[in-house]
Amino acid sequence: MNSILWIELVVGIIVSFTLLGIFIWGAKQGQFDDSKKMMNGLLNDSTEDLQAAVKKDEKVKELKANKREKLKNS
Amino acid sequence: MSKIVPCTHCHLEFDESVMIKEPEKPELNFCCNGCQGVYHLLKDDGLDSFYDKLGNNKLAKPLAIGDDSSNFDMESFVSRYIKKTEEGFNRVDLIIEGIHCAACIWLNEKVLNEMPGIVEVNINFTNNKAKIIWDEDIIKLSQIIDKIRSIGYNAYPYNRTDSEIQATKNKKDFFLRMSIAIFASMNIMMIDVAKYSGYFTGIDPEMLRMIHMAEFIFASPVLFYSGWIFFRGAYYGLKNKIINMDFLVSAGATLTYIYSLYVLFGGAGDSYFDSVAMIITFVLVGKYLEVLGKKSAVDTMDKIKSQIPLEATIIVEDGKKVVSLDEINIDDIIEVKTGEKACVDGIVTSGYSSFDESSISGESLPLSKKIGDKIFSGTINTEAVIRYKATKNYANSTLNHIVELLEDSLNSKPKIEDTTQSMSKYFSIMILSLALATFTGWYFYEGTFEKSLIVGISVIIIACPCALALATPIASLIGISWLTKEGLLFKEAKFIETFAKIDAIVFDKTGTLTTGKLSVKAIPLSLTKDELNMLYSLSDSSTHPVSVAIKQYLETSFENLKHLELDNIEQIPAFGIQAFYNDNVIYGGRLDNNIEYTTTIYHFTVNDKLLATFELEDHLRDDALETIQYFKNQNIKTVLCSGDNEKTVSKIAEEVGVDHHLAKMSPIAKADYIRSLRDSGQKVVMVGDGINDSLALSRADISIAMGNGADIAIAISDIVILNDQLSGITKSYYISKRTFKFIKQNLMISLIYNIVTIPIAMAGFIIPLVAALSMSLSSLLVVGNSLRINNKK
Repeated sequence: MNSILWIELVVGIIVSFTLLGIFIWGAKQGQFDDSKKMMNGLLNDSTEDLQAAVKKDEKVKELKANKREKLKNS
Repeated sequence: MSKIVPCTHCHLEFDESVMIKEPEKPELNFCCNGCQGVYHLLKDDGLDSFYDKLGNNKLAKPLAIGDDSSNFDMESFVSRYIKKTEEGFNRVDLIIEGIHCAACIWLNEKVLNEMPGIVEVNINFTNNKAKIIWDEDIIKLSQIIDKIRSIGYNAYPYNRTDSEIQATKNKKDFFLRMSIAIFASMNIMMIDVAKYSGYFTGIDPEMLRMIHMAEFIFASPVLFYSGWIFFRGAYYGLKNKIINMDFLVSAGATLTYIYSLYVLFGGAGDSYFDSVAMIITFVLVGKYLEVLGKKSAVDTMDKIKSQIPLEATIIVEDGKKVVSLDEINIDDIIEVKTGEKACVDGIVTSGYSSFDESSISGESLPLSKKIGDKIFSGTINTEAVIRYKATKNYANSTLNHIVELLEDSLNSKPKIEDTTQSMSKYFSIMILSLALATFTGWYFYEGTFEKSLIVGISVIIIACPCALALATPIASLIGISWLTKEGLLFKEAKFIETFAKIDAIVFDKTGTLTTGKLSVKAIPLSLTKDELNMLYSLSDSSTHPVSVAIKQYLETSFENLKHLELDNIEQIPAFGIQAFYNDNVIYGGRLDNNIEYTTTIYHFTVNDKLLATFELEDHLRDDALETIQYFKNQNIKTVLCSGDNEKTVSKIAEEVGVDHHLAKMSPIAKADYIRSLRDSGQKVVMVGDGINDSLALSRADISIAMGNGADIAIAISDIVILNDQLSGITKSYYISKRTFKFIKQNLMISLIYNIVTIPIAMAGFIIPLVAALSMSLSSLLVVGNSLRINNKK
């Protein structure tokens, strides 16, 4: 009985500290810097928004590559 | 029967008859051309999901901006505001005006992200600051600004200062520490609820150890990571030979932690890891609120600075030259176009116009300016091009003076002396000395280290600052939540104490004691239908507050008004508006300029024949009289302080019955008056709503802004009355006074508790478990007492 509880305790602590770790990672990335925007995050969660985000990433990648090329040539 | 309908774009509600309709889509209603334009632009760009995200939120009407955006590409702008990123892109920091909800943020980010050459857009909803990174080879900043303007918003540049970077870093650091402390404390609390409810009675010692082990794992990061700032504070305090609250918190928590470790790994008894986590968490939350306050002060300053014009046009021998503000010399001739801000003080040399001085004097109507009249920096030219001679350079001008004073007062906002803080200084020294004396005494008396340590620790645990630390925050929390329910926003809990102790309350006039909206005194009109329509059309051709008030009066008093096509509509600066209709010269406005009225007068003439005279006035708020009377009954000095003329101010002062009134007060004079009151030892509250009040607001012990006031006034003030009712101020005072009474009672309870229990603990009659229980009991007493605050509403 006790050994099961010990295992539960260890698993519980590992899970909660993992979640805490993810939270700290998010906070360090700046996800919670803007408290108001964070609370409204659900608004930007549609398929359309995800597609736009992917497109934007591609555009930024291209812009960065072009800029690097240009700086190399100049 | 007229029907009220919402505008399809901004959702503001108007009578259906005044809405712009589209023949092919009758279900669409627009309140203005701006809304119609933005709606179609979004629709054409496939961005109409904006309206789903907007929900029931209302927007402001799209901002109509006449400024040329090309100055965003000028050399002087680039060198001042644009930075290069490591990757070689351009970066600018902007403050976006007109943001109301998350949908506005979404729209701006979406529209900008879809532009070619944009690398990154990040708009902060909390402070409306935007970071934009773009490739200058593909797109110009002026094009980005034009895009923002096209969807009804506006943007101002600002410079990220070291203080902002530092404040942001600090906020993030505290946020992490606090989050971890709250996370761990909540887990410990879950165990505690069961423990203190008696569910662990008779538990197997091995199991109990396991529970203590879990508490140890959660409490350790709270003490060493979250509580690190208290150790740091205590260290710097000791270095400066001061024993502060940080020392007490860190010493109490560490000793309790060490004792609990001793219990966990060998000794008998109960561990107190819960107390360790709670002490740190409670005090840390209070500190985080302080950090937030500092960050918002920095954001406010950036907002104010972004309103300062970048350049001015000066007249030189061979024409005009655009120079930066620092390059303006005394005696330079400066040209100000309509809609532009004067950037330095001076005297008019040519032209005739009117200036909106509301930011300086609070005067609600634009003032006429002719040759020889003074122009103040920061005021806006509302009618025609004017030239004036600079009498001061930028560094000495009124606008810069106000900004500098504001910066000073925001940085050194007087912190009220926290009762707990000042008490704890002596309290902590006393407790530590008593604990040490107990330990030494018992060691020499009994000779056993373990017994002496336990008794010594009992003294510290029993005297743990829990009840003392809780006394103020828990009562404040209950007071604050009651206030919030009533629509009274206190930005920090400490303002409750200051508000409860005030001696004088100073009111602004326009927008505070009065409604700030002009309305026409109802008078019998004997105009023909044609004349009425002419007057209606004339008043509709101007956005001047007087014309708007006349138009609204006609719309509510008469039916079936017709819009006539007027010709040659001409603004006569500082007087009124003139137009032609079927060879008739029609005119609306002032006829003479030398009489100082207590109200505003509007004459309507056709072919120079006076047909009607309207008297417009600002109204006292319904509850103004009651509010003043309430504070007088409480023996608090009431003062009316306004930028308006003596006649108007004394009339209002007489009506409401204030103890004292002051007229023609500039923002600096208002602030000086507040300071003189404070220097005489009084605690002063300032109530205002405009930008012109912001300096005085920042100088007062407590500043209160009305909910519909200027953004800056709201940002600077300590208390915001959201429902915009003056009765909110009396209610705030009542609740603050009641809460403060309970804070004092709580402090008394914790003090009596310590006086009674410490000697018993020192005598060795209390084991740490009982000490911890009685400590919890004292906290419970304090919490229970605080709950009585909003019992009698």
